[in-house]
Amino acid sequence: MLKIIRKADIVLFVLLLLLGVGLAVPSFIKGTSAPENATVEITVAGELYGSYPLNKDAEINVSDKGHLNKVIIKDGQVQMIEASCHNQLCIKQGTIGMPNQQIICLPNRVVVRIVSDKGGDVDVISG
Amino acid sequence: MSSQDNPRGAGTAAGSSTGTAARRADKHTRRIATAAILATLALMFSYVEAMIPLSVTMPGVKLGVANLVVLIALYKLDFRYAFAINLVRIVISGLLFSGVFGMVYSLAGGMLSLLVMWILKKTDLFSVVGVSMAGGVFHNIGQLLIASFLVSDLRMFLYLPVLMFSGLASGIIIGFICYFVLQKTPKPI
Repeated sequence: MLKIIRKADIVLFVLLLLLGVGLAVPSFIKGTSAPENATVEITVAGELYGSYPLNKDAEINVSDKGHLNKVIIKDGQVQMIEASCHNQLCIKQGTIGMPNQQIICLPNRVVVRIVSDKGGDVDVISG
Repeated sequence: MSSQDNPRGAGTAAGSSTGTAARRADKHTRRIATAAILATLALMFSYVEAMIPLSVTMPGVKLGVANLVVLIALYKLDFRYAFAINLVRIVISGLLFSGVFGMVYSLAGGMLSLLVMWILKKTDLFSVVGVSMAGGVFHNIGQLLIASFLVSDLRMFLYLPVLMFSGLASGIIIGFICYFVLQKTPKPI
């Protein structure tokens, strides 16, 4: 088997692996903020649709541009229970409860994200 | 195309049917026919794969068996054929199965992946496994790029680590399969 693989393959593999691990680190560092202070941010196509406290139960209908997404906040957990998209992957993503976790409905361009209130929640700057 | 255009000067004066020009046309036809068959095969592979739900945990996790066919085309035919096969496969499977959205998404990943694979293959430094591995990773990167663009948020790349590992794994597996297939198939078509 070893003669199938060449040295450059291994170098590339290690490089990509390190890149993957490197990008995974920020996700682990943030996990210490208290969920009680967290906010649920819903953005549609990049623009903020609304911010809701995580500790207050709510049912939010995101109906922008003719698409429908229903988000439920209950007992500190967030879930997408209904969506007008074709693949329904957003619903299959289940519930989220910790900062930095997100539920994404790509066809409808909706992102539901839990943001910690500590203010230091900047891992990647878009733009 | 008479024989005087041809530096090898093969064939008889009147452009016989066994001349180099005819052989070239024959080879061309054979390649087109092979490419068509490969495109169909790629389409079937992606259909069968879509029936196996591997990506419930995370959108984008898949084996990408259709890429096996594209890879074979890249090595046995050339880049133009691989590109055409890839395009045809993605467009038709998008129209038939996943819809325009899925098609655009796949197109981004598939084309970036093919481009990277072609470049790596040209350097002659990598084996099929390495090329396929990079292809798998960049397929996911391409999809993440389009996804970030759609939601105007680069934080989509938080998904990259998981997709990176899945891309590496599936790329390597497909690479090995491709290696063995290439061994068993006849010389350049």
